[in-house]
Amino acid sequence: MNHQDQPLVLILAGGVGSRLNNLVHTRAKPAVPFGGIYRIIDFSLSNVMNSGMTQVGVLTQYKPLSLMRHLGTGEAWDFTGRTRGIKILPPRTGSQDSDWYKGTADAVRQNIDFIKSHPSKETIILSGDHIYRMDFADMLRFHRLKKADITIGMMVVPKEDIHQFGAGITNKDGRIIEWEEKPKVPRTNLASMGIYIFDTEYLLNLLEEDRKEIDFGMHLIPKAIERDDVFAYPFHDYWRDVGTIQSYWQANMDLLDDHSGIAPESWGIRPNMDSSNTTTADFPPARFLGRSKCQQSMISAGCIIEGEVYNSVLAPGVRVRKNAVVRDSILFHHVDVGEKSKIDLAVIDKRCNIADHAIIGDGEEKNIVNIDFPTHLYTGITLIGKDSHIPAHYTIGRNCIIDLEVQEHHFPGKKLNSGKTVHASKK
Amino acid sequence: MKKKLQTLAMILAGGRVDELSVLTCYRPKSAVPFGGFARVIDFPLSNLMNSGLEQVAILSQYRSFSLINHIGIGAAWDMLGRYRGVSILPPSTGYGNTSWYKGSADAVFQNSDFIEYHDPEELLILSGDHIYNMDYQDIIQYHREKDADLTIGCVQVPLDHAHRFGLADIDNEDGNIGGRVLQYKEKPDHPEFNWASMTVFCFKPKILLEILTDNAREDDSFEFGRDIIPRMMFEKKKIYGYKFNGYWGYSRTVEEYWQANMDLLGINPKIKLDKWGIRTNLEHRDIRDAQPLKVGSYGEITNSHIYNGCVIEGHVENSIIFPGVHVKKDAVVKNSVLFFNNIVGKKSCLEKVISDVNVTIGDEVTIGQPGPVEEKKVTLLGWNNYFPDNLEIGSNCTIYPQLSPDKIPTKIENDEVIR
Repeated sequence: MNHQDQPLVLILAGGVGSRLNNLVHTRAKPAVPFGGIYRIIDFSLSNVMNSGMTQVGVLTQYKPLSLMRHLGTGEAWDFTGRTRGIKILPPRTGSQDSDWYKGTADAVRQNIDFIKSHPSKETIILSGDHIYRMDFADMLRFHRLKKADITIGMMVVPKEDIHQFGAGITNKDGRIIEWEEKPKVPRTNLASMGIYIFDTEYLLNLLEEDRKEIDFGMHLIPKAIERDDVFAYPFHDYWRDVGTIQSYWQANMDLLDDHSGIAPESWGIRPNMDSSNTTTADFPPARFLGRSKCQQSMISAGCIIEGEVYNSVLAPGVRVRKNAVVRDSILFHHVDVGEKSKIDLAVIDKRCNIADHAIIGDGEEKNIVNIDFPTHLYTGITLIGKDSHIPAHYTIGRNCIIDLEVQEHHFPGKKLNSGKTVHASKK
Repeated sequence: MKKKLQTLAMILAGGRVDELSVLTCYRPKSAVPFGGFARVIDFPLSNLMNSGLEQVAILSQYRSFSLINHIGIGAAWDMLGRYRGVSILPPSTGYGNTSWYKGSADAVFQNSDFIEYHDPEELLILSGDHIYNMDYQDIIQYHREKDADLTIGCVQVPLDHAHRFGLADIDNEDGNIGGRVLQYKEKPDHPEFNWASMTVFCFKPKILLEILTDNAREDDSFEFGRDIIPRMMFEKKKIYGYKFNGYWGYSRTVEEYWQANMDLLGINPKIKLDKWGIRTNLEHRDIRDAQPLKVGSYGEITNSHIYNGCVIEGHVENSIIFPGVHVKKDAVVKNSVLFFNNIVGKKSCLEKVISDVNVTIGDEVTIGQPGPVEEKKVTLLGWNNYFPDNLEIGSNCTIYPQLSPDKIPTKIENDEVIR
């Protein structure tokens, strides 16, 4: 792509993603680890890189530290060089616009100066918290061909899921003629993926019109559809909003299924191996020792497997000791699973230590939802926050939540029943 | 104020070692893959990084491209910064300086200007060909304490194997730490002492340059072991031996190289990649883009090292598997080392094989004979080869790189060499 034709890319990475519960207590949703060596935002960043786009702004707000460390100079995604750059755009104070970002459109509005300082014909706005592969250059060609004011990436979803999305009804030409934000009653199955291409001048005018309009899906897009040319760019491949523990777990499991359609390496997804959060560069090959068994799993460099691992995703540095069994689970960096421990259907955050003979995910009561967060954990997954220590011989049921940095003495009795939560007591 | 450079390190990475057969057809030995993700030279480079020595030159002559590619800008070993750097020094032409490196010492001598420019207190000269973990600060410290002209890192080897090494007779001046070198013999037929030189030399730069100048004037052989150390002994320079007691992986033959690979395996391996802090350049061959190892529903892995980017659907046992290897369903890989991007077809069976990069093996191919591993020799597959379905290859075979398909017979007997 010619340098002058380069669109500006804005990645919205400020989302809290609160349904991911304690996975987002210390990090923003785009910074949540995924698939062993990746973070969620690596998919968006790599898509931008592979589409040949070189000017990127990342809008952050909620707990940005982990994300900022991960992005670094942007070198991992080839965003350094004379005509390349990635800028982190947190909220800031100044003569105008001194406030937190109040919504997607508000966040972009507060960075109008950034958009103006990077002259472009088009601005691509996308969310940093989805798992997919897309060629934005192709979408840009579509946008130019249609001479659209806005083009929205849209895909077909099951009708029962449409209530989570912005829904559009198109005419034969692909122009969106009606729009409903998160409709209760589905009239279409075409859902917005939160990927927009705007004519930059059009975007700037639209943002200036009414400062009370703070959200693209709620305010600006419906207005534009009524007045102007808004087109739907159809997308048919794998795309997931991993906004819930269940969908996050499922997308990780999809990695293990050859027919699911997700394939990070062949999609060209790049992790940042040198960021100070993860030192993947320091991990040697995974080691399989003694009577280890491992099937239908993804195992990252630096893992040491002496026990059994089935249908699971292991990040770098995970250790599964002798006679331990890990099944249907996602283990983050440096989780240590003690001898003869059993882990079934769990998401375990970084550096957790599971002592010998512990059981996580005990019993068949997958329908006993979490008492504190019934809408977060209801399918049987148990969630263990980072730096927690599970005592030896302890048993934890289904849909349990263990807070961050929980120590052995915080656990009641010898067993935590399904649906319960353990907090670290504050001194 | 400009910081005075204490130690300049130079890695000898130029030599071709024919003993590694087809593995060194297209690369110097230091660039040979090792450890499931790394290269041999990553060991001295990581040792230097972990020793805090970050001004490094690499002397390279033979097939340097793979090596230059691998070193990149040195960032992988943190050798990028104001007082840090890796320089690759190939032979060059210029006033009075117009030849290939005629030997290890000549390579250093031809770069005298580089050494004088950096003006270090000590010059640490290392081989890029060995697998070991050493804190070079220890030998440097000893060198300084002794005010030695040369301190040689030495490791004890069995006397009956000692004739292959440069050997020092070290006295007990400092017990287990080291002592004065009383005699030095390069590869003697009948060894009388068994401290082998590891090719870890700590020199006083001024003395070394004088000796190199004399040697260049008076001799037509230019090796540290054969010429420079004996010359310094003869001139009664102050030479000390530093006694190293860790693992030292020396592989001059394919069998030794295979054994060094096997030393990575087991619960308590001799080579501890994680504890040693071995780093490699993940940009090289784009291994940073590899996803985690994917084990299929019929995969079986025992006692093996496997890096990111592999797909294992078959059976892998006692093996080292580099990134990008695909072992298909019902295939068996045992006691083997597979470099980058090998494909092993369905129901194929590999036993004691070392396979270089980009080798594709079809379905139901047998390579190497079953039976006790110690009774067989390695079959070596050169890079960029394709072995069609149902082929049989015996043990102790050597297949040269990049053969056209018509050169490969349907059956290759034990001990055959196909070129």
